[in-house]
Amino acid sequence: MDVAIMTCEQCETPLEKGDLRCSVCGFTAPLAHHHVVVEKKQVLRCTGCGAAIAYDAKRQAPACSFCNSLVKLETIEDPVEQTEGYLPFTVTSDDARRALQAWLNSLGWFRPSDLTSSAQIRELKPLWWVAWAFDADAVVSWTADSNHGSRRSAWAPHAGQSQCRFRQVLTSASRGLSQLEASRVSDGVNLQQVHSEPMGADDAVIEQFDTQRSQARQQIANAVYDEAKQAVRSEVPGTSIRNLNISLVVTGLTSKRLSLPAYVMAYQYKERLYRVVICGQDTKFLVGNAPYSVFKMVMVGLVIGLVAIIFLGIAASS
Amino acid sequence: MVSNTLQSTKEQVEISCKSCGSKLLLSAHQLSTVCPYCGSPSVISRPPSEDIPSPTFVIGFQIDRERASELARAWLRRGNWLAPTSFKKALPNLIQGIYLPVYLYGTTAHSRYFAKIGENYTETETYTTRDANGKTVTRTRTVTKTEYRSLQGQHATYVMDVIVSASKGVSNAKFQEIEPYDLRAIRRFQPSMIAGWTAEEPSRSQAECFGLARQETHELIQRKLREFMPGDSHRDLQFDTQFSREFIDFALLPVWCFAVRYSEDKPPIQILVNGQTGRVAGKAPVSAAKIGSLVVGVLIFFVVIALFAVLMGQG
Ligand SMILES: [Zn+2]
Repeated sequence: MDVAIMTCEQCETPLEKGDLRCSVCGFTAPLAHHHVVVEKKQVLRCTGCGAAIAYDAKRQAPACSFCNSLVKLETIEDPVEQTEGYLPFTVTSDDARRALQAWLNSLGWFRPSDLTSSAQIRELKPLWWVAWAFDADAVVSWTADSNHGSRRSAWAPHAGQSQCRFRQVLTSASRGLSQLEASRVSDGVNLQQVHSEPMGADDAVIEQFDTQRSQARQQIANAVYDEAKQAVRSEVPGTSIRNLNISLVVTGLTSKRLSLPAYVMAYQYKERLYRVVICGQDTKFLVGNAPYSVFKMVMVGLVIGLVAIIFLGIAASS
Repeated sequence: MVSNTLQSTKEQVEISCKSCGSKLLLSAHQLSTVCPYCGSPSVISRPPSEDIPSPTFVIGFQIDRERASELARAWLRRGNWLAPTSFKKALPNLIQGIYLPVYLYGTTAHSRYFAKIGENYTETETYTTRDANGKTVTRTRTVTKTEYRSLQGQHATYVMDVIVSASKGVSNAKFQEIEPYDLRAIRRFQPSMIAGWTAEEPSRSQAECFGLARQETHELIQRKLREFMPGDSHRDLQFDTQFSREFIDFALLPVWCFAVRYSEDKPPIQILVNGQTGRVAGKAPVSAAKIGSLVVGVLIFFVVIALFAVLMGQG
């Protein structure tokens, strides 16, 4: 197979088979093989019956008016593509269990006292969740208002332009994990080691990519935008910022579809289930929810109220 | 494939129908035709020359003839309430469905801008007024004021999907009214896509189209910069844009053309229907009689209001 790897002449983003125009900058993709157009007049004929062919608006394709067969057109490809690599599980399910216990212990005084002892792990499921890792360079132009240099108004306008480099930035494609869960547990993975086969957990659920290429590109473009906005935020002088606007010129955008390891756990405390997600390569990266002790919170509220009343009483009498 | 020698003059091209052999005359800018004798569609492909390139892209028709006529009739009936009644009742006359030659333009636009950015603040001011008893009192109120600060900076963006008409038959302004086209449906040009339909070659020069595209891009950059400005408001926006890495592609886009003749002594009105989305555009004539009665109606309304106010004041 001779697959020529082509990149956009203008912005160096790789082009994929079936791309007519660059998805980043709109530049025309070169023809794979150059047709030499000779001066000619054609009557296009149906390969089935030999009758003349005309384009049919209803069917949106050239069709034979006689036998009704359609002519196959070069169609735009928009496949749902699957993962290109797996990051291995290096945390065992026992490690994950212990990490959950340790986390429950560390939550602090406002949690129920019997949380660690009564919490029952109901489910512990290794999962390869899906994400894109992208590289890109971008010229980011920005404007914003900030308190820096302000006069009568609390705000003063600022502008700037900078070059940003993004390498191996992860953005979630998962339906199984929430955006918050994904961003928290993705910080703990090592992107240098990618395997072509699932490794480290035999019974893991393998999540599938379910977005078409065009939609995936849109989501990646949005992620580049968000990342760039985050990156230039630190360049705006001042401590409070509003109206941060950016404009991007992205070059060399490449992305990879990856499957990342995580444990999705559910534990039960007093009839209710709570969910925790732990990174499959580092248990420090854990995200989840846990109950608060209503009793303790009410008690603290009462004490604060009581103290306030006493102080007010003293103030009023003096 | 048997190639045919074309006897071409500047204005017309003569071809012979491959099915029945009859001679057909195409105007110089036509790319395809249907033989009136046997109904066979023909497509001409010419080698690209400097001035007349071969099409790179095409978007196929999705709106068929019946649907286009319906849309044109519906457009005539509603939405033009100042048009003469004869216009609204007229039947649009289908000229043809054509593949209109256009240029798709893209570039990287670097701009340097200057603007005055308005930042709002509130001030408490005192003022004197009379209270219910007619006494002079001093009160305070908060007012919002704006201070303008100058800002200059740079802005860079890709511009793509700017489309300009390359046909002298359809002005670019008119074409903009039936935009946008959904460019996701774009196909690489192949002759079978236009078989059986009329397709034109560009009748405007590439240089002229470049000019039109840059002008459209300039307006686009202005809109982008307006959104880009911080602050609560801005004024005196000035900018200077440089285009780099410009590219232009010849494409064929589907358009239905109608003509409406509503009066013996008036020229027909052109109506265009976007062959992909069905968007209709045209310039409806304005009826002098309707304008007159509208003005009279508004005047009567104000007179009545004034009379009413006077009567109320007296009562
Ligand atoms: Zn590109």
